[in-house]
Amino acid sequence: MSNPLTSLLEALIFVSQEPLTLERMKAILEEVSGDDIQAALDELVRNYASEDKGMVIAHTGGGYLFTTKPDHDRWVRRALQIERKNKLSAAALETLAAVAYHQPVTQAEISLIRGVDSTSSLKTLLDKKLLKIVGRKKAPGNPLVYRTSERFLQYFGLNSLEELPSEQEIAKILEEEKVAEG
Amino acid sequence: MTETAPDLLPIEETAVAASPGPADGYQVRLEIFEGPLDLLLFLIRKKKIDIHDIPIAAITRDYLDYLDRKEQINLDREAEFLFIAALLIYIKSQMLLPRETDLAEHEDPRRVLVDRLLVYQKIKAASSVLREKEEDQLLRWKRNFLPPLPGEAELDFVEVSLFDLAESFVLMMKRKEAEGGRVIKARDVSLEEKMKEIVGLLRERQMLDFLAYFEGQGSLEEGLVAFFCVLELVKSRQAIAVQDELFKTIRVWLRKDTRRAGHHE
Repeated sequence: MSNPLTSLLEALIFVSQEPLTLERMKAILEEVSGDDIQAALDELVRNYASEDKGMVIAHTGGGYLFTTKPDHDRWVRRALQIERKNKLSAAALETLAAVAYHQPVTQAEISLIRGVDSTSSLKTLLDKKLLKIVGRKKAPGNPLVYRTSERFLQYFGLNSLEELPSEQEIAKILEEEKVAEG
Repeated sequence: MTETAPDLLPIEETAVAASPGPADGYQVRLEIFEGPLDLLLFLIRKKKIDIHDIPIAAITRDYLDYLDRKEQINLDREAEFLFIAALLIYIKSQMLLPRETDLAEHEDPRRVLVDRLLVYQKIKAASSVLREKEEDQLLRWKRNFLPPLPGEAELDFVEVSLFDLAESFVLMMKRKEAEGGRVIKARDVSLEEKMKEIVGLLRERQMLDFLAYFEGQGSLEEGLVAFFCVLELVKSRQAIAVQDELFKTIRVWLRKDTRRAGHHE
């Protein structure tokens, strides 16, 4: 890597445990123009996309972050002595999807959408910090209002809520499911 | 992004996996319907029914069959399954009512159910997409999975809401309670008693070195009360206080008439 800026960004992303945003990079490297940073960043991401690297620079949660390549999962787990990672339960995942698409939203609204009481799923998701409470609704009982958190985006490798599957994409999935069954 | 911490894991992959089960034969894992809408959607798909034109009578019958068997439904959710059963039966009764004119589409009694199913169907499709993303992400290890570096604890900012703070506070208070520690209550110092003590001392010793006296007090509070007493005595013209220089001691003595009055007591 001949570009010193590329090498510098690599170091900054390496020490960052949370996704390092472009804004943050600009703030740290205040002497450097935004365009130069962007160019160096693009180069860095390209460099890491090559096959001989064990890591990639992922664009997730609105920033950039080193992650290992999925192919290495088995050995990483062996090294860390972890049999497997816990996945969210079906109920929790469904609740999360309902919040993601209907936020800001209350417990009662989520329960109505799912047809089942969702209090405990919401609690689980709050504990995992995938959801956050943003206030109370001005309605009878002043119920709590939920939103997805930054961590939610990161957990699913998204950069913003706009990256959630759109209406059309969902319609397409439903169509495919129908065909698959038919 | 990892929710898992090393101490939560590993959990043994149990008999759910392909490994041969215990001696009691093999188990078939049936699909469990988490909720009533889940089951309804399944029935609609199985029968290849148009969701916008559900034959309520047939679907209600199938639905109630599943409920009776109780095999594939999450029994913790039985009440919610029954609630939708009641809704189905209600819709069925509405459809049976004789009408003078044909119903307009928005008057279709099935409308409320169909709307809910459509919304739920989307959420279900979205959660299958999220599941794929989750599975992919779990294969990509990030540094924030690793234990934090030493000395980083206080720098580890996490997104917390007011409610997190409130919860932490309640937990803290509970822990405090559990410790069962006694609260040592400071002795209340009454101005009146202190006043008596000081006047007594002044009578006894003629003159009081206030700094020395102050330092001899059990607590700061007591010292302050003593100081107030002196101010009070000066104000009520019972005593005279002189400080030769800033930060030097204050010498206090009673006025002659006060002393005399004291003697008369």
